[in-house]
Amino acid sequence: MRMRWVVCILGCGAVVSAAAWAASSDVVDGPLIRPAVSSSDPRDLSGVWFIRLYNRQINSTLGRIPPFTDHGKAEWDKRVKAEKDGTPIADASAYCWPHGVPRVMNSPYPIQIIQTAGETTIVHEVAHNIRHIYMDQPHPASITPSFMGDSTGHWEGDTLVIDTIGFNDRTWIDEVGVIHGKQLHVVERIRKIEDGHALENLIRIEDPEFFRQPWYARITYAWRPDLRLSEYVCEENNRNMPVAGHTVAK
Amino acid sequence: MIRRALILVLLSAAGAAHAQAIYTPPPGQNLAGVWLIEGNHSAVKTLNGKLPPMNETAAARYAAAVRARKAGHPDFDTIQTCRPHGFPRILFAAYPIEVLQESRQITFIHEVHHMPRMVYLDLTLPKLEDMDPNWMGQSAGRWEGDTLVVDSQGFNDVTTLDSAGLPHSTEMRVTERIRKLDANTLEDLITIDDPKTYTKPWSTRVTYKRQPGARLKEYVCTDSNPEAQVSGLATLASP
Repeated sequence: MRMRWVVCILGCGAVVSAAAWAASSDVVDGPLIRPAVSSSDPRDLSGVWFIRLYNRQINSTLGRIPPFTDHGKAEWDKRVKAEKDGTPIADASAYCWPHGVPRVMNSPYPIQIIQTAGETTIVHEVAHNIRHIYMDQPHPASITPSFMGDSTGHWEGDTLVIDTIGFNDRTWIDEVGVIHGKQLHVVERIRKIEDGHALENLIRIEDPEFFRQPWYARITYAWRPDLRLSEYVCEENNRNMPVAGHTVAK
Repeated sequence: MIRRALILVLLSAAGAAHAQAIYTPPPGQNLAGVWLIEGNHSAVKTLNGKLPPMNETAAARYAAAVRARKAGHPDFDTIQTCRPHGFPRILFAAYPIEVLQESRQITFIHEVHHMPRMVYLDLTLPKLEDMDPNWMGQSAGRWEGDTLVVDSQGFNDVTTLDSAGLPHSTEMRVTERIRKLDANTLEDLITIDDPKTYTKPWSTRVTYKRQPGARLKEYVCTDSNPEAQVSGLATLASP
């Protein structure tokens, strides 16, 4: 009994100090005291935010499953089955490629919004994805398809509206089996909610090849002034490196 | 065309209705924009154009790296397998850098590997022994007049300082003095302090030219570098 206590004292001490260390490493150090809510300026979205109620399957506002075309449904079924069979089909993130949009907005990692003259930039901790959103500019006349697409932004009242086109067809929309083609058109409407404690992103997803009609997903993010983005290097030791298109179980 | 013009007019009208608080730095401290390095810095030299003052072990490592590169097998080079350049090597890369400036943070977005570097103006660096070594280290900056002074530390020792193969240890500390020489020229005076590798601190200097209107392109190393895939598989197979 006494022996157990000794173990517990040592063990509990270790647990407590580990917890304290983990907490202190996340806390912003320095002379500035940062507020618990984002600034009172409704258009100041700058800072670090963290997704709430993360789900690897995208939460469609229509109910779980988006309005697939036959092709979209077949691709979904194929991916769900492959995962069930223990040989998941690899998505872009498994290759350390950029995650694409809106997939990157649905990751369980912090994001940092940076607002500068003419541009809104989102830096994502996950795989150091970066979104460049050029403000009040039309899309270029000719766009080379890319993982992250071409994004323009403008304000409608206090809502930041981001229009993104010009995607390649190598990213997914979620981590389960909602995918897209090159016709993908994403419109995000981002605004502060809950008195600056959170951000709402209402995402409109349109791709006639995969969906019968445009559909919406709604994601919210918590204001996290206590966090700084950490380094995330997918390429360092990718244990999930796909083989022949499938993620290999370890 | 008319429709596009109309949309732009409507957008700017909407923009005028609410002022958005965007930080504007004092003109001398305004580093914002896209910059591109001048000259070739694949083999970094000191301000006097000499090889940095390496200790014996470091000199041997450097010589081996140069030989490996010459033989076509630069296995020491992390970017061969799409791993990061590390710091400060990424400063010498021949790709554009976008500077995003906020009051408390200056963010350098490197086109190569779409790598961000956060320089926090409100951060006191932890003690080196309290830091987990990583590729880019951690950076704290402060203004001295119109010069941005940045201290960085907390590096792993996997990377080299340049393409040629200048080594460094986990004890390296890097100090940069960044300032505009004129509206279109940025200077970075870089001092390396690494007593485990170099017999004394030494400095080098790079300049960057403003790229008006430039946008960073999407750079995806793992998409274009089949060796990285091979490396991933090798990692998977080996213990």
